[in-house]
Amino acid sequence: MFRSQAMSKVELIVPEHDVVAVTEALAALDVFHLVKSEYIGAEGATRQANEWRERANTFTALEQRILIVMRALDVDEGTPPFDELHLIGPTVAQRDVEHLEQESLAPVQELEEAQHKLVQLQRYLGQLRPIADLDVDLEALRSMRYLFVSLGTIPVANMERLRSSLELVPFVLVTLQREEHLATVLLFGMQRDADILNRAARSAYLNPLTPPDRYPGTPTDAIEALQASIARTRQQIATSQTTIKRLHASRVKRLRHLLWRVRASRTLVETIAGYGRLHYTYLIAGWVPDCQIPALRSKIEQVADQVMVEVTIPRREDEEHIPVVLDNPYLFRSFEGLVTNYGYPRYGELDPTPVMALTFPLVFGLMFGDVGHGLLLTLLGLLVLSRKVRALRGLASMGGVVVACGLMAMVFGLLYGSIFGFETVLEPLWIRPLEEITDVLLVAVGVGVVVLSLGMVYNIINAALVRHWGHLLFDHNGLAGLMFYWSMLGLGAVTLGISLPFSSALLFLLVVVSGLAVTFAELLEHLVERHRPLIQDGFGTYFMQAFFELFETVIGLLSNTLSYVRMGAFAVAHGAISMVVFILADIVSPTQGVGYWIVVVLGNLFVMGFEGMIVGIQTLRLEYYELFSKFFSGGGERYRPLELIPKDKCE
Amino acid sequence: MPAQGVRAYSLVHATVRALYSTMLTRATWDALLQAQDLDAVLGLLSKTVYGPYLQIERRLLTPRRVAYQIRWHLAEVYEKLIRLTPEPGRQLLRQLWRHYEVDNLKATLRGVETGATWDQVLHLLYPMEKYILLTASDMARMVQSGDMARAVEHTRHTPYYDTLVHALERYRTEKSLFPLEVALDLHYRRRLWQSIYQLEGRDLEQALRTVGIALDVDNLLWAIRYRIYHHLSEQEIINYTLPQGYEVQDEHIRAIAAGADIAEVVRRIYPKLETVGEISERSHAGLAQLELFLNRYFLKVCRSTFIGYPFHIGIPTAYVWLNEHEIRDLTVLVEAKASHSPIETFGSLLEMQSLSSRVDQR
Repeated sequence: MFRSQAMSKVELIVPEHDVVAVTEALAALDVFHLVKSEYIGAEGATRQANEWRERANTFTALEQRILIVMRALDVDEGTPPFDELHLIGPTVAQRDVEHLEQESLAPVQELEEAQHKLVQLQRYLGQLRPIADLDVDLEALRSMRYLFVSLGTIPVANMERLRSSLELVPFVLVTLQREEHLATVLLFGMQRDADILNRAARSAYLNPLTPPDRYPGTPTDAIEALQASIARTRQQIATSQTTIKRLHASRVKRLRHLLWRVRASRTLVETIAGYGRLHYTYLIAGWVPDCQIPALRSKIEQVADQVMVEVTIPRREDEEHIPVVLDNPYLFRSFEGLVTNYGYPRYGELDPTPVMALTFPLVFGLMFGDVGHGLLLTLLGLLVLSRKVRALRGLASMGGVVVACGLMAMVFGLLYGSIFGFETVLEPLWIRPLEEITDVLLVAVGVGVVVLSLGMVYNIINAALVRHWGHLLFDHNGLAGLMFYWSMLGLGAVTLGISLPFSSALLFLLVVVSGLAVTFAELLEHLVERHRPLIQDGFGTYFMQAFFELFETVIGLLSNTLSYVRMGAFAVAHGAISMVVFILADIVSPTQGVGYWIVVVLGNLFVMGFEGMIVGIQTLRLEYYELFSKFFSGGGERYRPLELIPKDKCE
Repeated sequence: MPAQGVRAYSLVHATVRALYSTMLTRATWDALLQAQDLDAVLGLLSKTVYGPYLQIERRLLTPRRVAYQIRWHLAEVYEKLIRLTPEPGRQLLRQLWRHYEVDNLKATLRGVETGATWDQVLHLLYPMEKYILLTASDMARMVQSGDMARAVEHTRHTPYYDTLVHALERYRTEKSLFPLEVALDLHYRRRLWQSIYQLEGRDLEQALRTVGIALDVDNLLWAIRYRIYHHLSEQEIINYTLPQGYEVQDEHIRAIAAGADIAEVVRRIYPKLETVGEISERSHAGLAQLELFLNRYFLKVCRSTFIGYPFHIGIPTAYVWLNEHEIRDLTVLVEAKASHSPIETFGSLLEMQSLSSRVDQR
């Protein structure tokens, strides 16, 4: 539970003729985290790799061609088929695609050409309509002697800028037609300013329009000819559309199946191209959870009988690259999301999920103790877990966290004697935060001390696991740091008059010894781990740095501990906000009528929503900054088993 | 209303704070600067938040590939923050994220223009998987099409299509990518301004400070470059720039376009900038200095966003900018270390304040 699943390195030596079947089996099993090993290979094996890559390129090109046909026939990708997808021969796939293209693309191309033509014709028509009443030949307009005239289209967004850029020269910009993004305009100016006007028009992306020569004469003549062409083109479009609809209905299943099979085949051959190669065999390397090894062996035996499976326990130097499969009991799994949001633990490192699962609800409950609010939170969490509300399905992985927080809020509600903000209905099993503020704050600090110490213990265990002895002994979050922290706390307690079974002299001695160890941690770590030189930048700089590091450690420990005061403060605030709700309710309805209860209900909803959320964030903050920073840096590799079709594509 | 801000941004704020703590420390930067070569840099980076992205075969880790790999971190940061940020702030973040999509699109068009292969183009891009309109396979198809008009057709499903198709007319006559790139830049930035003005109150104020200043820097530098490098006319400079601004107003752009003393205009906008070398058609010396100043000024503003009330859109936007600049600096550093350049040759190009102050001290 405290460590990720044990992984083994699996190396398969696969004869060339079995490589496809074995890869398909590995993908179907969904447990093999592949490690690229293409660099392992005999000289002559490059040819094989290139062949696989060429095949992958072929499949990529085929996939694009299928998608083009699908887009043309308005067929969506659908979901991958349920049955296992096997490699399709490139020649077979190519033949299928060509056949589909032949029957589908011709009508689609005809349609596109007709549509394009229609758009052009309509655009010309649109350009001519605003000048339909002009009784001039269009060619004459373009060859003016003293006037600069430019007819063209311009992005609407550029028009204002064009106007403002021409402030210094006389000009007129007439909008003939305006669509959503594009406008047809006429720009007039003096011929002597032609250079300025041309540069301005070009930089504003005013593209000059040139209606085709086959529609000559006045705008009215051209419009009549254009309308006749448009009618003919529309007829052509309708015919093509009918053909395409028929094709859509008859080819939809075939296209989808072919698409997913080609996709799976591409992934398959790309995967094979990444394998290590010897002359007649392939080397497949990857990581598999130990518990899945027997299933893996049996599956491989089913599909090929000449495969050599070698399972090795990872070496210490491999640990940095081993993928991590978190292994927590069902109840803790909801908290994995909160941990991985921060980072994945490295292999061999302690998994912070259990400590998160225990401390997160505890810290939350301490701040948000209320039986009623806790109950509602628990119910909300159960609703989220049930996945019955579509809008909440995306949060399903967090349902367990909400339930745990709700339950702990109920426990603390009983301890505080608080239910829906009513502080007098239940007898507290422990204390009322509003009445005993100092005690609550002290307990909060106490919890903080325990949580922080737990973080340091985790750090010590992690250091032991990776045999980083210097770090274990002298780091400010290691053994010396822990001793320094506790002896400082002890000294503080004695100063406040609390009697302890240790003399203050002993505590003082411990503070000095552990403080010195923390101060000179780098030097001591180098000494223990035999790193040389012991000090890098000279004694002066080193002592200065060491002093400031000690100072920083003391300030850090103090601020980390005091950070937990907020838990007590929130417990008090919860009671205080509830009190405000009741004061408001009394103002609205002193006789405790309907108004009173409406305010109480709304107030409770506000407290739950607003305070609950802030408390949640504060809890997250305490976990991430105060606790995780003591021992956890993330940086582990996520476990990604080989799959031919990504799971998120499957329904 | 503060309560709304807290509700909307509390989780975003907590996440950004956690991410902020993963930024490279001064000690790491010092070590990176002192690193002997690229191997040493990779060794140091492997212990940072960029480590997991660099876990590929060493021989593949060329400087270009390293830059590509570490950009994955930025992609993950954006994905995380877009997911957590509520509307309309999310819209702004998505639009900011598309800045890289536009850069990718421009790089792809350059690939089409030069007849590059997809493999040559791929690692010049920003890796983007989510919240995008143009996928890697769209761009691969563009490159494979080998023709600009056909390449543009592959953007049909995106909002860039209309802009590109219209600008294509000019590409055809001028045989230059300039009109395509400028059209894309203007289109993108206009949309970004629209996203900023979708916001209200504190969010609007903070978005103007973080994103508005970045847009100002672009607009100002465009105007200067169009004048001194491209020798464009006043009207062209005006048309190729934006009228909106936060600190850089249209009058400033117009003054530069009209031929005013550039250093004088810059001082008017940024009075705290004490010295600006000459920037004119004759001498470009001050431009690099100005660019560095503006970027550092912008980063300072981003950092200052983290002081004070934290529940607003400024926190995620400032963080993503800081992260981008960290990656930019790392890219410069990686290139420099791979070519064994001494610190003096590239130190001044690094933008992050903490680093630059160290470099200056040396």
